[in-house]
Amino acid sequence: MPASRTRASCVAAVAIALCATLSGCGGGPSAAADGKVTLRFTWWGNADRAARTEKAVTAFERAHPSIDIQTSYSTYDSYKQKLATQAAGGDVPDLIQLDYRQISQYAGSDVLLDLAGQRKHLPTDKMDPALLRTGQVGGRQYALPMGIGTQTVAYDKKAWRAAGVKDPQAGWSWQDWVRALRKVKDDRGSYPMTDPGAAEDQFEIWLRGQGKKLYTKDGQIAFSAGDLARWWSFTSALRKEGLVSPATDTTQMSGSVEDAPMGREKSLAEFNWDAPSAGYEAMYGDRLALAPTPTGEDGTFGQYYKPSMLLGIASGSEHPREAAQFIDFFLNSDKAADILGVDRGTPVNSTQRRRVLSTVTGFQKQVARLQTSLQGKLKAPPAAPPRGDNGLQSTFQRDYDQVSFEKLSPREAAENFLTEARAELRP
Amino acid sequence: MANTSTAPATSAAPAGTGPKADTTAGTGTKGPGRPPRRERQGAAWVFLSPWVLGASVLTLLPMAVSLYLSFTDYNLFDPPSWIGLRNYVQMFTEDPRLLRSIGNTLLYVLVAVPLQLALALAVALALKSMRRGRNFYRSAFYAPSLLGASMSIALVWRAIFNDGGTVDNLMSGLGFHIGGWVNQPGWALVSVALLTVWQFGAPMVIFLAGLQQIPQDLYEAAAVDGAGRWRQFASITLPMLSPVLFFNLVLQTIQAFQVFTPAFAVSGGRGGPADSTLFYTLYLYERGFTASHMGYASAMAWMLLLAIGIVTAVLFRTSRSWVFYANEEAG
Repeated sequence: MPASRTRASCVAAVAIALCATLSGCGGGPSAAADGKVTLRFTWWGNADRAARTEKAVTAFERAHPSIDIQTSYSTYDSYKQKLATQAAGGDVPDLIQLDYRQISQYAGSDVLLDLAGQRKHLPTDKMDPALLRTGQVGGRQYALPMGIGTQTVAYDKKAWRAAGVKDPQAGWSWQDWVRALRKVKDDRGSYPMTDPGAAEDQFEIWLRGQGKKLYTKDGQIAFSAGDLARWWSFTSALRKEGLVSPATDTTQMSGSVEDAPMGREKSLAEFNWDAPSAGYEAMYGDRLALAPTPTGEDGTFGQYYKPSMLLGIASGSEHPREAAQFIDFFLNSDKAADILGVDRGTPVNSTQRRRVLSTVTGFQKQVARLQTSLQGKLKAPPAAPPRGDNGLQSTFQRDYDQVSFEKLSPREAAENFLTEARAELRP
Repeated sequence: MANTSTAPATSAAPAGTGPKADTTAGTGTKGPGRPPRRERQGAAWVFLSPWVLGASVLTLLPMAVSLYLSFTDYNLFDPPSWIGLRNYVQMFTEDPRLLRSIGNTLLYVLVAVPLQLALALAVALALKSMRRGRNFYRSAFYAPSLLGASMSIALVWRAIFNDGGTVDNLMSGLGFHIGGWVNQPGWALVSVALLTVWQFGAPMVIFLAGLQQIPQDLYEAAAVDGAGRWRQFASITLPMLSPVLFFNLVLQTIQAFQVFTPAFAVSGGRGGPADSTLFYTLYLYERGFTASHMGYASAMAWMLLLAIGIVTAVLFRTSRSWVFYANEEAG
């Protein structure tokens, strides 16, 4: 008898140990012994953002001593893959930073919590409704934008002025842009700008400048192969004229400043989003300036205010209330606004936005100035891209590679892209 | 290959270890003295259990899951849905990039493996005739094989062959400016192949061991008959070394088919420029983790297994006509 009892207790001990392992992996309820609630918060970014985020998290923990936030971060590409794998294993962190392009997928697969249930912990009345809509799928709010960003042309002010080009103003057209490039090239001899043909974001701006868009309301492709072929013919002509970077330089772009022609000081201007353009500051210092992107020939603005990134709560979170309190702190409090600045774009909360824009300095001030100059001119952002869109940016770049290395004509590559895109968007 | 399906399998792993480990531990502890046969078998199972569990939970189960997934459409988010052979059909009928990746991989195998083996043999021969410092050089040449598979070396490689890198500057100095090998569709594959060729240490050590097994008196007899060095190499060294050559060939071919890290690092994970370094495994990874088509990636993994199996079988078949075993002659 005693023997079997020992064995029974052994079994129990092993079972308990295993359960602990399982829940450790599974990220189940994690109320620590001291009654603290632990939340996991995961995001992508660089070291500077990590420092600011940690500081904000510490401030939150001080204000809410019963909540403990564990953070983790990585670069965007590995973040995307890790999060998808975690979602497959049912192990999604409580608080998730998401890209505009991930929202439909995660909301549609019930990974995200409908925030309607947490409204009283998470006021959104100070946020722009058009921007809030970017975190909605099927009429439900699944995530909140963490910051506002817009596309810009980052350029070397000194070099452009030396070539006799005036600082571009809101409303300059694509033709003005080409004229400016010609002047800078004549002055410098080398190519003045990075080829924008490989970036779907730039194609979208160009398309919107003609009153068109990437996706229809029901998530189908809204442009034709002819549209894309025209864009790629346009950029190819510029490349052949030596106005934008050659294929060997363009193909190195990976999304990080270090791999971009402008980041390697080969190019004097580049299309990029406003907040990440801060990366060029290390090389260009005071010479770095931001201009709005060119508009359509009739002055239609293609660029828009985009949520730089969004923050959502996992549907499987054990502590949605505390998670909502954290989002509220992160997006709405003075303290967080002071710490975060415009690191994730300018604040979404209008009060915090005024507060931050009036105090920023250096490059952040340029972002503020650019956004102010565009106030009221831009159209509403498009709805979140449909499921399956996630990988299309890299498909776009790859297909353009075939054009810039002159393996395919713009028309053939455009047909390829549409075939692949339609296959990916198939529900 | 199997790691495309580890996600669902590993989460099940701890659950499987529980009851099994306990029952086997229970049967092995009865009475003193020499246990009966069944008891001894029990003990054997206890000692085997870590391996059996490891093999079944970490290898066989994931393989089974991956085989199942290869017949499904699975995007990691929604439950897999059964689509029969569609993934396999799609691979060969509607996926030009897959064919491209097969072509790249074959080209790479055909270039890198012979070059690597030739270099390994040449260095092994040089080392064999060396009197002093052989151990030092053996270690020095072997080191790249230990380091080469790592991401960091691949990144260094990228830096060396990149625009403005050492190789690029050197070639510009000689009047050939091509703007970085890794950014040219025609050259990127070459730089990846060179990375593999450079890691010739493992086959070299095996060649060296094989060379030392060849009886010295064969050479002496040949020398007496007036055979020169080339004749000795062709008539003694190569035939006597053929089993080792065969072993290296099979091993390196299998490895070459699975090449991943160098291309991943050199092309920034995209197989570029213009798909020129899109190897089969890289495309598999892209389908699975970037495009979230896990079912398709699993099907690709199984096709790779099949292809490697076939190639290995063919190599074994041809070996009958050129691999010479010493004991054949004796018998």
